[in-house]
Amino acid sequence: MKRTSTYYIRLILIILVAFFYVFPFLWMIANSFMSDKNILSVPPKIIPDLLFSKNAFSNYKSVLVQYNFGRYTFNSIWVCTLAALGQIIVCSLAGFALALMHFRGKNITFSLLLLTLMIPVQVTIIPEYYIFMKLGWMDTYLPLLIPSFLAGAFGTFMLKEFFSQVPRPLFDAGIIDGVNSYQMFLRIYLPQAISPLATLFIIAFMNNWNDLLRPMLYISKRDLYLVTVALSQFQNQYGVRWNLLLAGSVLSVIPLIVVFAFSQRYIIESTMSSGIKG
Amino acid sequence: MTQTPFRWHRRITPWIFILPTVIGLLIFRLIPIFSSFYLSFTEWNLLRKAQFIGLGNYVEMMKSREFLMTLTNTLQFSLVYVVGSMALGLALAVLIDVQIKGISLYRAAIYLPVVTSAVAVGIVWNWILGPTYGIVSNIFESLGLTAPYWLSDPKLALNTVASLQVWKMSGYYMIIFLAGLQAINKDVLESARIDGANAFQSFFRITLPMLMSTFFFVLTITIIDSFKNFELIYAMTKGGPQNASNTLVYDVYLNAFVFYRVGYASAIAYILLVFVGLLTILNFFIKKYFVYSLD
Amino acid sequence: MLILVISLVGLLFAGGAAEKKSGEINLEWWTWDADMLESNKQIIAQFEKENPGVSITNTIIPTTEYWTKIRIQANQNKLPDVFTMSSGYIEEWAKEGLVYNLDSFVEKDDTFDYFYKAIFDTSKEISAADHYYSIPFALVTTVLYYNKDAFDKAGVAYPTDDWTWDDFRSAAKKLTVDTNVDGKIDQWGFTFTGRYAEIEPWVYANNGNFVDRSTMRFNPDKNALDALKMLTNLVLVDKVAPPQKDMSTFKLEEVFYGEVAAMWVDGSWLTDSFRRNIGDDFRWGFVRIPTGPSNKRVTYGWPDSYALAPNTKHPEMAWKFARYVAGEGIGLDLYMAGKIPSAKALAESPEFVDPAVQPGLDMLKLIELAASPMTTSYTMGWSEWRGYGGSDSLGLNGMIDAIINGQMSFDEAMKKGSEGINTVLSRYYK
Repeated sequence: MKRTSTYYIRLILIILVAFFYVFPFLWMIANSFMSDKNILSVPPKIIPDLLFSKNAFSNYKSVLVQYNFGRYTFNSIWVCTLAALGQIIVCSLAGFALALMHFRGKNITFSLLLLTLMIPVQVTIIPEYYIFMKLGWMDTYLPLLIPSFLAGAFGTFMLKEFFSQVPRPLFDAGIIDGVNSYQMFLRIYLPQAISPLATLFIIAFMNNWNDLLRPMLYISKRDLYLVTVALSQFQNQYGVRWNLLLAGSVLSVIPLIVVFAFSQRYIIESTMSSGIKG
Repeated sequence: MTQTPFRWHRRITPWIFILPTVIGLLIFRLIPIFSSFYLSFTEWNLLRKAQFIGLGNYVEMMKSREFLMTLTNTLQFSLVYVVGSMALGLALAVLIDVQIKGISLYRAAIYLPVVTSAVAVGIVWNWILGPTYGIVSNIFESLGLTAPYWLSDPKLALNTVASLQVWKMSGYYMIIFLAGLQAINKDVLESARIDGANAFQSFFRITLPMLMSTFFFVLTITIIDSFKNFELIYAMTKGGPQNASNTLVYDVYLNAFVFYRVGYASAIAYILLVFVGLLTILNFFIKKYFVYSLD
Repeated sequence: MLILVISLVGLLFAGGAAEKKSGEINLEWWTWDADMLESNKQIIAQFEKENPGVSITNTIIPTTEYWTKIRIQANQNKLPDVFTMSSGYIEEWAKEGLVYNLDSFVEKDDTFDYFYKAIFDTSKEISAADHYYSIPFALVTTVLYYNKDAFDKAGVAYPTDDWTWDDFRSAAKKLTVDTNVDGKIDQWGFTFTGRYAEIEPWVYANNGNFVDRSTMRFNPDKNALDALKMLTNLVLVDKVAPPQKDMSTFKLEEVFYGEVAAMWVDGSWLTDSFRRNIGDDFRWGFVRIPTGPSNKRVTYGWPDSYALAPNTKHPEMAWKFARYVAGEGIGLDLYMAGKIPSAKALAESPEFVDPAVQPGLDMLKLIELAASPMTTSYTMGWSEWRGYGGSDSLGLNGMIDAIINGQMSFDEAMKKGSEGINTVLSRYYK
């Protein structure tokens, strides 16, 4: 392609735009390395002073230890991993059945599933809350995990599409070999699905990580806090010491960015393919 | 559609596969939808049993000035969000649809806010837009202007939060539009170019019409997503100042879990459901109309 | 397969295992002061040492969430054995039967040898009930904090009990300084928002009232309106205090220890935070709120208490522990500074007024205030109409902020505010 001036203009535009999207994160990181004295200076100091001092990571140490973010991060990783595992199990099972099996009520189930994507969580949260309350599951991780181990609209949809695309000969070979349904699922189809399953795992992990409403409602004990909740309470509890708050924000965002960096191809591609189907 | 023309399994098997999903749907979707409906006719403060009060909550809503504001805020938020996200998403997709070295890096950069938690986004922007110490304030000051109170001014708060939500999610819509763009047969564009069409003409006469199905898909999901503003409002304004950034979604939380008026909150939740439903139906008809008129 | 196994195991652990050693008495203790995390741990360790066979679990919940969570517990009949009860809610909870009736304990043992009966009675009065439903562990009041160094620099005499509002205003004017002459104020004489702990003290220092107790409706009398007018004029006319929106970057009291404002009105409990955050950075003290033009005053204060779960499995031990943490068994070092202990031993101890620790002898003022007539603006539904906690940008709080932010005129805000507030009140008080 010719490198015309349009090309360069475009490139510059893209870089500017990308900067506009990344800039807040950079600012967040920069400010997380500021000392208490410098964080509230007018006009704002651009150079993070702590970064070049001996205690570069003092804010982070503070947040991790004193304010227990280390514990919260661990909690979040634990909960989100489990939830994501639940999703891959449940959605692959359901997706497989919807793609390849025959049963009455298949269409209804699928339609209901899609419909649930449209309903805002606020409509169902109050009765859901009440159910968990009555079960006595407050202050446990069960309310956060059980739903993930039961149904997942997006994941099921994605896997149904995937399983429908698996080449027919594989299926035929299975029939000829006389496998039963479980073997068909476990031995033949599931191994094909490593890529979408991995994508689903990551997406489910991310969604759980960023969820605020449910952890906030169900968890009161500090030790059980998840990162997003801890962060939102930080403002109320410990005064807005912005340098610490931003350090905490960075901590809450870094695990996801790392995961995202490694898997962005999969995530972006799955978004794109869902768009095409739409 | 199933691939397999015949039933190759026992009758009961699919039900075993789908059992968790069905249970989940039942317990966490269907039952709550009905119970929410019932609850909306009660008064319940979580301390004792719910009391049936008929249409009381709905009547209160109709008479409440605050509720009217919440309703218009929700409409305004959705409008800003849908229009903003679609315009920005499309514009970004067109911009990014080019083979440059490192394009995937820029793409990922724009997608980054999508995967970040709204709480972190809210906190950072609170800091950036804050009075006196925020960098935006300082830029305004250095130019000799007074910085607007982005989040404390009732006239600005809602639009600020809505715009930030657009900023956050635009990467997602960009990707979907990008997929749509890349699915367009390039030959058509090439022959148009040969025939002398300039960039604008080919965009509006060829690209856009071929993008229609993607367009409506994005329209549908932006409408649905425009109601997912709880986290950002919580992190930034908590519905304030004086209800200016309160939407139906946040109001449900406020009434149920801050004021302990669970019955009233359920009524609001139902209005929200009706709202979403109406918009979805509207979307459906617009789509039908457009597709019909294009054919 | 492996994944399935891992998940199931994970789920089992998700139940939030709280290991209960059998044969022991386990008490749940819920509080809301995050600052007391370490102190609470020490208190528990001490109590457990003195009472073998008892183990206590302390859960601290931020104030914005506390009441939601505790209501859930109430609904599940799983209220913690001992939990913090606020004067703002005691009326409702006593009415609903959600707190243990303490009469049997209070009357039979030596409670009033250790605690001030007057404080217990105030608590009972606020709960509008005929029985003792809570054990007050402290009395809190509001004071005017001031930065002595700033006063010295501006050449202003320190505030005294004789101060009038005019004295206050003229001091504030002299203390509002633009140190580097860049057109922006670097130090404000005073700062405030519409929050209850910052407004009510002034109203009561002028013998005013927000709520007409005979009708249970919001109807501020002239004294109350004068107080509000004086305060809002500080921002709009005198320009000695900034609009709330300018200070929204800060957490409230940070403006004082961040030296952005020379004076600050808030709860006496901030003494704890100020001691820690200011240290020796500057000299500070507090006095009572200046008296208004009506020349009559009432102190704004209320007890903070503990209540017992109505269905606690171990009422005697819970009561023992409640008394312990209410002041009987702990030393002042584990007590939140600035709260006036209801335990006689603590309030009258020499450490309470330690001249070596800021604010030094000013602490005597608290004891004086504790003995004076007190009142509050608490009603049922208070947090909703006052604008507290999760709804702090709404209600009366939001209305006052709107006035000083220039978003609404005084009369407009009062009118609109009254309507909203009375809608709420009429729901609770028919």
